[in-house]
Amino acid sequence: MKRTGPVLLGFVIGMLMLVQHFTPDRWIAERYNNILDWKQVVFGLTLILGVVSLFLYHWRRIARREEGWRYSLLTVGGLAFMIGAAILFTPSRGPYPWMFEHVQAPMQSTLFALLAFYVASASYRAFRARNLHAALLLSAGVIVMLGRVPLGEAIGLNHISTWILDYPNLAAKRGVMIGVGLGMTATAIKIILGIERTYLGRGA
Amino acid sequence: MPAPLAAGRPPRRAGRLAALGRVDRRWIFLLVGASVALPLLRPLHLPIGTSREARAYHAEVERLQPGDEMIFSFDYEPDTMAELDPMSLATLRHAFSRGVRVIALTNYAGGPGIALRILGQAASEHERQYGRDYVFLGYNPDYSATMLRMGESIRSTFPTDHFGTPSAELPLLREVDRYADIELLVTVTASALAEYWVIWAGGRFGQRIVAGNTAIQAVLIYPYYQTGQLAGFLGGLKGAAEYERLIGRDGAGVRGMDAQSVAHLLIVCFIVLGNIGYFAQRRSARAAGDAARDGEA
Repeated sequence: MKRTGPVLLGFVIGMLMLVQHFTPDRWIAERYNNILDWKQVVFGLTLILGVVSLFLYHWRRIARREEGWRYSLLTVGGLAFMIGAAILFTPSRGPYPWMFEHVQAPMQSTLFALLAFYVASASYRAFRARNLHAALLLSAGVIVMLGRVPLGEAIGLNHISTWILDYPNLAAKRGVMIGVGLGMTATAIKIILGIERTYLGRGA
Repeated sequence: MPAPLAAGRPPRRAGRLAALGRVDRRWIFLLVGASVALPLLRPLHLPIGTSREARAYHAEVERLQPGDEMIFSFDYEPDTMAELDPMSLATLRHAFSRGVRVIALTNYAGGPGIALRILGQAASEHERQYGRDYVFLGYNPDYSATMLRMGESIRSTFPTDHFGTPSAELPLLREVDRYADIELLVTVTASALAEYWVIWAGGRFGQRIVAGNTAIQAVLIYPYYQTGQLAGFLGGLKGAAEYERLIGRDGAGVRGMDAQSVAHLLIVCFIVLGNIGYFAQRRSARAAGDAARDGEA
């Protein structure tokens, strides 16, 4: 029963989600909406689980005075402060939006902006025309990079860039998408039919 | 017969060129910083053309009539603000200037702060009134269920707006409740959410959709544009600049174009230099190997 129950539940829910695509039946439409509502509830609970897990992980590091425990203290402090600020002052007023605007937003933007430096350094070191394939990739990358900015437009590279995006890029992307789609369909059928059971955990 | 090279000594010119492949990365960082900062301080005013994707995106907003409704989803967080904020602001300015009513939301927990700032700015510039001309529904966990559920009922998906006001009490949401009532859906995103909107709101409910994406993500959504599943899209800061030009109001997108042009050119220069260094190094290593073999012989 421990194994049959979840497999049976997976089959019923999976079939319901499949069938609702093809029928205007009101009862099925209502069950479909129920499932979507439950999905949101479960997702919300996973967020809580994530916060609790983060807290416990860092709390243990602080308690054991592990290397870098002061960073953990900062993490726990930040977490507690933001939760407290949102509860006491609501997320729209007081310290919560202030911290978002003046601490979180600049920090996240700064970290992302650092990518420009690392991309420049990495492309200088690693982007090598070692063989024909690498040379083709490199040429396409350079053309698209220049073709997407006004400087490249001025020398007509935007047309070649658009061609690369429209044909070779599109063909490759579409091939990947079809492959992924077929893989997802096959996996979904296997889960509904109870063939794929790894989601039940080890030994299922 | 040419004289053999001294064992282990590469040709001098190749050795000099090989040094191009060993530039200290601190120089690279310094040059990248300068290439971004200087054009922002002293703009070059490079001409900005418009792509067909941006023109299609613009045309979709342009065809909306006063009183029409648009869903605007802020699907990004502060890390990509610099790239995506300009297109969000430009789109909302365009929509408000045409009297389009906006139902805004976000699928990211870090999105409400961004949405409130940009909505507030665009709405105050055009004297739009909250509740009547625009609403902000806030963040809802689980984007897939949110997108699908909104096709059935927006009020049920978001029983209250971001500020806790019941959705049924908002004048705008009393008149519209599902995709069928909405003329256009706009998603501005740094992730694959544009694809999910296309699959769930477009594929299932026939919702017309345009997207604003980071430059990296834009490459991945070309197939949806070609098939018409996306009616138009903006790619990266360049897309934002193009859109700003199309609506006739320059902003951060246009301002950033010079910096991006110079930075891209610099990166291409680094790639070329790195390759010259790499080939010179390979050549001198080969020459040294040949010389060593000749010496042994």
